[in-house]
Amino acid sequence: MLGIYVHIPFCEKKCNYCNFASFVENNDFIKRYVQAVCKEIENSDYRGEEVDSIYIGGGTPSLIDAKHIDEILRCIYKNFRVDDDAEVSIECNPNSLTYEKLLIYRQANINRISLGAQSLDEEELKFLGRIHTPLQVFEAIANIKKAGFENFSVDFILGCHSASFKKFKRWLGQMIDLDVKHISVYMLQVEEGTALDRLYQKDPSVVLDDKKTVAIYQKISKFLKKNRFIHYEISNFAVDGFKSRHNMKYWSGESYLGFGLSAHSYSGRERWANANNFQDYFAGQLAFKEVLSNRELIEEHIMLGLRCEQGVKIDYLKTLGLDIAKDENYQKLLKKRILFQINDRFFLNEKYIPLCNRIILELL
Amino acid sequence: MERLDKIRNFCIIAHIDHGKSTLADRLIEKTGTLEKRDMQSQLLDSMELEREKGITIKLTPTRMLYDFDGERYTLNLIDTPGHVDFTYEVSRSLAACEGAILIVDATQGVEAQTLANAYLAIDNNLEILPVINKIDLPSARVEEVKQEIEDVVGIPAMHAPCISAKEGTNIDDVLKMIIKEFPPPKGDKNGKLKCLIFDSYYDNFKGAICLIRVFDGSVKVGDKIQMMHSGKVYEVTEVGIFVPFIKSCDKLQAGDVGYIAASIKNISDIAVGDTITSSQNPTEKPLAGYKKVKPVVFCGIFPVDGAKYNELKEALEKLKLNDASLEFQPEVSGALGFGFRCGFLGLLHLEIITERIEREFNLDIITTAPSVFYHVHKTNGEVLELSNPSALPPQVEIDYIEEPFVKASIFLPPEYVGAIMELCQDKRGEYKDMVYLDKGRVKLVYLLPLGEIIYDFFDSLKSRSRGYASFDYEMGDFVRSDLVRVDILLNGEKCDALSLIVHKDKAYQRGKALVEKLKKIIPRQLFEVPIQAAIGGKIIARETVSAMRKDVLAKCYGGDITRKRKLLEKQKEGKKRMRKIGSVEIPSSAFMSILKLDDDGK
Repeated sequence: MLGIYVHIPFCEKKCNYCNFASFVENNDFIKRYVQAVCKEIENSDYRGEEVDSIYIGGGTPSLIDAKHIDEILRCIYKNFRVDDDAEVSIECNPNSLTYEKLLIYRQANINRISLGAQSLDEEELKFLGRIHTPLQVFEAIANIKKAGFENFSVDFILGCHSASFKKFKRWLGQMIDLDVKHISVYMLQVEEGTALDRLYQKDPSVVLDDKKTVAIYQKISKFLKKNRFIHYEISNFAVDGFKSRHNMKYWSGESYLGFGLSAHSYSGRERWANANNFQDYFAGQLAFKEVLSNRELIEEHIMLGLRCEQGVKIDYLKTLGLDIAKDENYQKLLKKRILFQINDRFFLNEKYIPLCNRIILELL
Repeated sequence: MERLDKIRNFCIIAHIDHGKSTLADRLIEKTGTLEKRDMQSQLLDSMELEREKGITIKLTPTRMLYDFDGERYTLNLIDTPGHVDFTYEVSRSLAACEGAILIVDATQGVEAQTLANAYLAIDNNLEILPVINKIDLPSARVEEVKQEIEDVVGIPAMHAPCISAKEGTNIDDVLKMIIKEFPPPKGDKNGKLKCLIFDSYYDNFKGAICLIRVFDGSVKVGDKIQMMHSGKVYEVTEVGIFVPFIKSCDKLQAGDVGYIAASIKNISDIAVGDTITSSQNPTEKPLAGYKKVKPVVFCGIFPVDGAKYNELKEALEKLKLNDASLEFQPEVSGALGFGFRCGFLGLLHLEIITERIEREFNLDIITTAPSVFYHVHKTNGEVLELSNPSALPPQVEIDYIEEPFVKASIFLPPEYVGAIMELCQDKRGEYKDMVYLDKGRVKLVYLLPLGEIIYDFFDSLKSRSRGYASFDYEMGDFVRSDLVRVDILLNGEKCDALSLIVHKDKAYQRGKALVEKLKKIIPRQLFEVPIQAAIGGKIIARETVSAMRKDVLAKCYGGDITRKRKLLEKQKEGKKRMRKIGSVEIPSSAFMSILKLDDDGK
């Protein structure tokens, strides 16, 4: 079944580490954008197909008027066959998410909230360029629960120079007490051209060094698992039954459609992306469209499979023409216990998650 | 007037950067040999690389016509390569002339190559005309430099033309002096043919071409000629002159400078310094001074992509077409696979060839650190000649090793004498002589191992004298030395391409510096990598590259997948450029790192 992603590329202010397509724009412009997105949905070649997940991401979807979100969802429901128990998520920022908006979201069929907390330390939030306070995170969670959402996720970033497991343990403990069902912990990445990059170039010690980051990450994983969370993807942890269905589609090679600026779609062997500037997007242009070769499908499957608890399907690789069992590097990695194989699948030893890219490279 | 009286054969000699090519350009321009618009600046430096480096490697002679006192004179300019690597070629070019213009920079004065080249010219019985260049510069000190030439070189210089080649000042003075000062060539056009080969090049249509000076007799199309040293006989298909592009003519005769084409297949069939005579009516004695040129610096060259071995071979073969002094033979390295062991006249020659392979043939190559030629005397009486450290037999089989030494002359201001003497001692030099040339200049003479000179001598010399020291050397004898091989082990496995032969007293220091350098170059791997230096089985230094901690993409959602896959593909390409020694991946650049050990220490 299809997943649908809608990109809302607007923010009150760009975060220091962010290199996503997001802009600060006025309400008229946002209105025009929402109309363009709805038009794109109405004109989709996939109209009428069955959909079991919708994800509204950004940017900051909670920033814009909630009626726009409602408008977009109505448009999707009108043009696609959305399952009754579809997962419908929206990304929210603690400072722009109000109780009123949450009520509108509920009425628009949204049943999952992803809250970008990133940190619960005032200094760290400032360093990351976030415009909310730790207190607003707790208020937002209270509102989410009050509005009746059971399924919600909180995002954290690991990598500020002042990070420690002690702090994380406290924060994560609080989240667990608040009955958070899904937690993402992203290791901070210094992306080229970002404000963080400029700080980092001047003084690399503004971010936590790799050794400490990895040590804290391993402890976080252990701590969350002890608290009934499943570590189901490199940066994602969920209580049983609360994994993000939509995100799983990305990692398991299922089809998804992306609407909005720079949104990516994938179906069959094709992947395409909308233009990443408004002018071209409004003109209906694509940034690219590619047809994946067997080789590329293999690469993606390995790359994504190793990130996840479900691993890589050996038989699937075989249908694409790769008998991995015969690969010398694969056998070496098995022998070194970096990979392990159970029946028809192979997995990455958890100890080596922080070196995932390197291991993938060995297999390509 | 006799025909010969109206010919002048001459060359220009100078220290690097004193303005040789610029003056040559001005002479060509002034004599109207080429229209100004046809002139590419520094025309004689015909290769792109030469122009870029500002040095002349390949000689291109030029015939110019100049009217003086109602007579038309033929001036043949034979350019010379101004670098110590090509001393023999310079000497053969000089042997083709009667006169030499010695350019001296009015701001710099006499430098090491000024003197080395002047002595070469004196050895060849050339008339020397000093010319003071760059008088347009505010720091020019014309009178002092004239005095310096008289004192240091020992030739009269008070009437030397003072010019600015850059601005074209007083170029006529130089032309007049060439006619007045340089003797016309001697020779008998009816005598037995005697031509000196002073250079050669390869032409795709005509085959290998000899650049010659005719001393006696004459040569024309259809003549049967013989190379006196190789004994090979050819039939002349074309003769001609350089204006400065080639122009065929009926014949060349005594006193002339020009070229001979004779369907010669390989440039290696033409030996610079050899004498061409007639095969039917040969001269009894060849011209003096012939010497077989031997490479003195060696290195391994390997394709980065092992599949490109044949392309590399073709590139080397093509380069050899135009460069007989380049030698190469196949080599197999455990670390680098199939490649070639190549021999060069010196470091500059090495640098030029490797750059041309990369640039003109678009090949990515790995070069191993340069080495010299050793004579290895084994205990069983056998003598091995080798340049490749990994070919060195086990220590127990070696009686002793000899290494080549050079006689180095260093010119420098007196305040740097202490620092440079220290450098020479550090490089195992043997002090020979020190002469105060004048109050601002000292000449130091040392015997130095060539192996130390190719290591980093030149850079150290420049940095320790703030660029003021200049340097020239001539090859000397092989001397017995206490040499050992230092091996490098990566994760316990020996990497043959990183082995080096060094003096025993320096083995520890060099081994330590090398492992420290490799630690910086070798990227972190999944596991810890020990880097060790060893002599025989004994470890003398160790460093460790700690294991990589983190290389992971935190977010990988819809839009990230394509980006990530492309990034992986790029990394995969980068990985191909790495060499695998056992399980350790090392970048290609590591193999040249042996050369530049001191960089980071400063």
